[in-house]
Amino acid sequence: MAQLPRSELEMIAAYGPHVAHAQGQRLEAGVEPDRLVKTHCCFCGQQCGIQLKVKDNTVIGFEPWYDFPFNQGMLCPKGVKRYLQGAHPDRLLTALERDPASSGGFRPIGYDAAIQRVAAEIGRIQAQYGNSAFGILSGASLTTEKTYLMGKFARMCLKTPYIDYNGRLCMVSAGAANKKSFGIDRAANAWDDMLHTDVVWISGANVAECAPITTSYVWRARENGAKIIVVDPRITPIARTCDLYLPIKPGRDIALFNGILHLMIKHDWLDHEFINNHTVGFEAVAEHVADWTPKRTAEVTGIAEKGIQQAAEWWGTAKTSFMTHARGIEHHTHGVQNVLGAISLVLASGRIGRPNCGYATITGQANGQGGREHGQKCDQLPGWRDLANPEHRQHIANIWDMPVEEMPQPGVDAYEIFRKIETGEIKGLLSLCFNPKVSLPDSDYVSAMLDKLEFYTSIDFFLNDSARHADIVLPGSLQEEDEGTVTQAEGRVIKINQAIECPGEARQDWRIIQDIAQALGRSKGFTFDGPRAIFEELRRASKGGVADYSGISYEKIEAQNGVFWPCPSDDHPGTPRLFEPHSWNPVAKGAGPFYFSDGKARFNVAPYTPPAEDVDAEYPLMLTTGRVISHFLSGTQTRRIGPLVDQYPEPRIELHPQLAMRLNIQDGDWVTAQTRRGEITLRAQVVRTIRPDTIFVPYHWAGQKSINRLTIAAQDPISKIPEYKVCAVRLVKATQAPAYASQLEPQQ
Amino acid sequence: MPEAQYEFFIDPSRCIGCQSCVQACSECDTHKGQAMIHLEFVNRHYSTQTAPVVCMHCDSPTCAEVCPADAIKKTPDGVVQTARKPRCIACNNCVLACPFGVPKMNSGAELMMKCDMCYDRTSIGKAPMCASVCPSGALYYGTREQIEAQRPRSMPVNQFQFGQQTISTKVHMMVPRTAQPEHIDVLSAMHDHTSGHDIFLMMHDE
Amino acid sequence: MVKRHPVRKAVLWGCMTTISLAIMIAVGSRDLAHFDAALVAYTFATLFATFGITYRYTMWLQRPPTAMYWKRGWQMFFKPQRLLTNIRNLFTRTSSDFAANRFIWKRGKLRWLAHWFIMWGCIVAVAITFPLVFGWLHFASVPGSLDSYRAYLFGFALFDFPVDSIFAFLMFHGLVWSSFAVIFGVMLAMWRRMRDHGAASVQQFVEDILPLILLFAISVTGVMLTASYTWMRGYAFDFIAILHAITVIFTLLYMPFGKFFHIFQRPAQLGATFYKDAGATSEQAHCRRCGEAYSSRMHVEDLISVQKQLGFRYEVAGEVEHYQWICPPCRRAMFVLAQTKQWQGNFGDQMFSSMHEQPAAPRFGNPVISEGPLGHEDQANLHF
Ligand code: HEM
Ligand code: SF4
Ligand code: SF4
Ligand code: SF4
Repeated sequence: MAQLPRSELEMIAAYGPHVAHAQGQRLEAGVEPDRLVKTHCCFCGQQCGIQLKVKDNTVIGFEPWYDFPFNQGMLCPKGVKRYLQGAHPDRLLTALERDPASSGGFRPIGYDAAIQRVAAEIGRIQAQYGNSAFGILSGASLTTEKTYLMGKFARMCLKTPYIDYNGRLCMVSAGAANKKSFGIDRAANAWDDMLHTDVVWISGANVAECAPITTSYVWRARENGAKIIVVDPRITPIARTCDLYLPIKPGRDIALFNGILHLMIKHDWLDHEFINNHTVGFEAVAEHVADWTPKRTAEVTGIAEKGIQQAAEWWGTAKTSFMTHARGIEHHTHGVQNVLGAISLVLASGRIGRPNCGYATITGQANGQGGREHGQKCDQLPGWRDLANPEHRQHIANIWDMPVEEMPQPGVDAYEIFRKIETGEIKGLLSLCFNPKVSLPDSDYVSAMLDKLEFYTSIDFFLNDSARHADIVLPGSLQEEDEGTVTQAEGRVIKINQAIECPGEARQDWRIIQDIAQALGRSKGFTFDGPRAIFEELRRASKGGVADYSGISYEKIEAQNGVFWPCPSDDHPGTPRLFEPHSWNPVAKGAGPFYFSDGKARFNVAPYTPPAEDVDAEYPLMLTTGRVISHFLSGTQTRRIGPLVDQYPEPRIELHPQLAMRLNIQDGDWVTAQTRRGEITLRAQVVRTIRPDTIFVPYHWAGQKSINRLTIAAQDPISKIPEYKVCAVRLVKATQAPAYASQLEPQQ
Repeated sequence: MPEAQYEFFIDPSRCIGCQSCVQACSECDTHKGQAMIHLEFVNRHYSTQTAPVVCMHCDSPTCAEVCPADAIKKTPDGVVQTARKPRCIACNNCVLACPFGVPKMNSGAELMMKCDMCYDRTSIGKAPMCASVCPSGALYYGTREQIEAQRPRSMPVNQFQFGQQTISTKVHMMVPRTAQPEHIDVLSAMHDHTSGHDIFLMMHDE
Repeated sequence: MVKRHPVRKAVLWGCMTTISLAIMIAVGSRDLAHFDAALVAYTFATLFATFGITYRYTMWLQRPPTAMYWKRGWQMFFKPQRLLTNIRNLFTRTSSDFAANRFIWKRGKLRWLAHWFIMWGCIVAVAITFPLVFGWLHFASVPGSLDSYRAYLFGFALFDFPVDSIFAFLMFHGLVWSSFAVIFGVMLAMWRRMRDHGAASVQQFVEDILPLILLFAISVTGVMLTASYTWMRGYAFDFIAILHAITVIFTLLYMPFGKFFHIFQRPAQLGATFYKDAGATSEQAHCRRCGEAYSSRMHVEDLISVQKQLGFRYEVAGEVEHYQWICPPCRRAMFVLAQTKQWQGNFGDQMFSSMHEQPAAPRFGNPVISEGPLGHEDQANLHF
């Protein structure tokens, strides 16, 4: 393909994003719903319980679900208004075929014809170039059943090594570091363990906007006397009143953690017994941090020494604590190192595996946790098994009833898939629940690669920005149109319940995948009659693995309001807190609480390296990106929900008044940010809540408003996470409004 | 009646400006599509501080007293209702007189509208929309025992001072237990812009 | 002096209107010559209602805010430089707000439909019945012509019309048509009240349901009367007539107390609009915290005096003088900041304060939903 079938403006006119507001039955006060369906929010990793009001196969509103333990009725604005994504004017009701002659660039085709065409193209490409010429991009907002099916589809049906998922952009750094340190990748605690701690440490997590419900846990901890430490280049709402705010320079987190550990060692704020009995590798780390004096730490991190001292003292002398972090420290070329640094503080304090002693990364996507456990990652098999491990391969091959030698070897990460498109190794692509054109860094490159494909098919319920490049678009399902399980941020497996049927020719995603398998003539292993059947196989597949779901059932989830994995048997209640003394796990087999054969946790030396692209005279500022509360990820859903768009209509460039004054920029002015990859013109928001050497832009918008056209495609060597959180940028006042200002609505 | 013990507590210091309350307020059956709660950035230039303001349901409501049309009524359980529809003549007195700045004027409809504590919900024992969803606990609906148990550092007050006028309200505001103030002097904030951290104080100057 | 005897004043006014009406009945019916004795109960109920409504109206007008508005409304109306515009506005507003109920349309189409039918049904019915009851209007056959009627107003002959004309049909069945309009409107209103969760939570029987039942009862019994003598040869006519009389009389007696009082109170809406018109073009009040204009100076000063009369003590020492000089958005900000101050020292935040720089007014987080269809007036007055 060469380019979009029609101009961007024409495609937007036909397929949106347009905004939906409540009208008709949704606005009437007198409508009695047919039923209330208990389910969960379709957006972030906290997976708040919510009840959907259903009337005539439409979700017309919500009612809080007070009894669900995690959120007790609380919701963020996205959860409140999510019901407006259904019955939306932009909803895809048929399959679409690329057609430059049609005004929107596509023409509707029958569902079966579309499946046949997809299968034919997969068949052709694989026959012509080999199995690995077809790749798959999947997503972490899918139910665990679907993620399991996607992994199986790649390995068993397409026999391609090339599958990866958008969790790659989310918490893989934390996952990798957790594996290295604990041998397992899951939040070590339920959030309840935060409530009675002495210190809550929040690094690089805009809790208020990205994990809003967690706020209530933080504030309750504070009521009980906890000190709150927030490390962030911006004074986010949770940081506004925190007890200690450390305005770190983007990309310097590991330096801070090393500096804190240095002070803990210096003042002997250590749990020697824990370090001796339950960890290995402390000496090497201690030696490494010996140089990280407060002075050096201050110089590197940009935080005043007194703040570093204070944080070390609070953390060091606390009896109980909860360490938490998110993408702020993970979206880096040294994201894994950053997380290892955080874990070192936890291990040195010995405060883990006990009540009120916790550690967790705050997972971002709906199924960020479950989606990274059961085999849609490029190197992974169900149950957190290893695709390179012969034993693991054999176990899964047996479950799938396939010859183990036919199972492909590990593939590459999501970004590398695009590089393989460039080199011509990958010719065809299927994407589900992934909008790489908006969410991957240096996205002009990504969209050029989409155009280079011989065949691209996307499954989605709206025509997302990447799907505009597709040859065939298959109409998928909304979260409320299917059932299945999801594992939320704490590691709690919960159940999504179906509220309504798919409209028109739209199909549940697992049906679409199975239909493709059938059209390929490879339906063996893809004849499930529903998510429950998939889950049953997943349970067996995960049995004995680290992420053991074998004791979890839909009924148990309902009865207990969720089950924490590992849950290895039917009579097992689940495991809210990991690493309790004397706990058993399949790796240590009783040797200790951690998931290594000796049962001990690992300290890892985490050396500091500056960001891949540091500032220089040409690009003197740092650009960091993130979310705002009323939007989610690439905005495919939230930019179509009117009241959420009203709340934050368009991206703005946040900058400090000192910087603004230097550049003669007033609040509301148009300013242009430029990096080595591209430029963007947005309105300025001049606020004193950001470091003067840093600018912030949220990433939920597409096209001319997409900040990921500027971000750098540098990745962490271990986790392959891109460095969204820092690159070099320069800022100039724009001479005039950009052309889009008069052509596009805010959300477009 | 068990629901009589439920009370509304607000703690703006917890507010994170997420606007769940605003979005949920517009789902309330008594004024669907419009939000009655006020959620404002106090001064975004300096800080992210936001101010959530619901009707405080005064014991003797200024809004009702200054209403020339007798349009604002209080229920027996102390909820000050939105204007009675046949009566309100849209004079704006209540909007200008409410000491907390609560009522809103719906010009085209010639009708004042205000927060009525989700009377469609609270009158049948359900929590108001905003306090149900608020993820920070800035808006909280529960019993006094619950709030005291969950918030050992805070205590509720319901007396507000405006110059020489004291107003007592049905809704409570959380203040530090250590301070034990009898009332909150609203005019004390006359010269304050907002609150937050000052980034420079914690920055290492190179 | 008057203020000390509000009740006496109200009784006085009540008596005056009631007596005036009684005199008019006597005179208008030519010393009761055209007065139908069967309707005496109706007449007395009406006289009572007149007393009650006047009494309540007078009491109401004496409340400080109402008195202020009453006075100012007239003052603003008769202001020489505004009088012409005001008269023009009076006409447009009477037709759009009163005759067409445009503002109820803005509240909801269903509400409007219901109200418009109830209102016009009642107006037509009242316009027909009261003159008849009081003997102000009567019909007689034209001497020498068997197929014509002559209409008399206050005893003066008005015009003749044929017995079998469409006009006659409409005229003599006017009450039937108005009853149908009322029944239709009442049913819509009832339907809304039964379905709408919001309405269900606030409505009260006496205040909201009873008036609908009364209108319904009057209309249905009225229609039944017609049906009885038209098609059923007067079956149960007397009984229905008594039922009808009871419902009407009860409604008349209820008028001063319940929802129907709004019929008399509503014209104050016009006063409010003239007051606001005048305010919009006069000097503005500027908030003494943020400095922005937020209302007319006249309105703020009037409110201050009303609040004083009501016993509020919002006076503030120092340059603010009175709390009323702070705009509503700044009140909200100060209310929250006063709490923030209480917590100072407990958390890490600090106050940004300044005696020199005026604090800015707060700004809505979501301008669309928070203002929404609410208020261009809020926007203008309260600089949202
Ligand atoms: C003979 C004349 C009238 C009658 C019999 C009448 C009757 C009624 C009734 C029965 C209701 C209650 C409807 C319900 O239950 O929802 C009502 C409401 C109302 N009336 Fe009238 N009315 C009359 C004239 C007027 C006039 C002239 C005005 C003002 C211009 C007015 C303004 C209103 C308003 C604003 C409401 C509230 C409507 C709403 O928002 O729900 N009425 N009226
Ligand atoms: S807070 Fe304002 S609107 Fe609410 S009762 Fe008091 S005066 Fe009336
Ligand atoms: S606007 Fe309506 S409710 Fe408010 S004081 Fe005026 S008449 Fe009363
Ligand atoms: S929901 Fe709560 S935290 Fe969010 S803006 Fe409203 S009051 Fe503040």
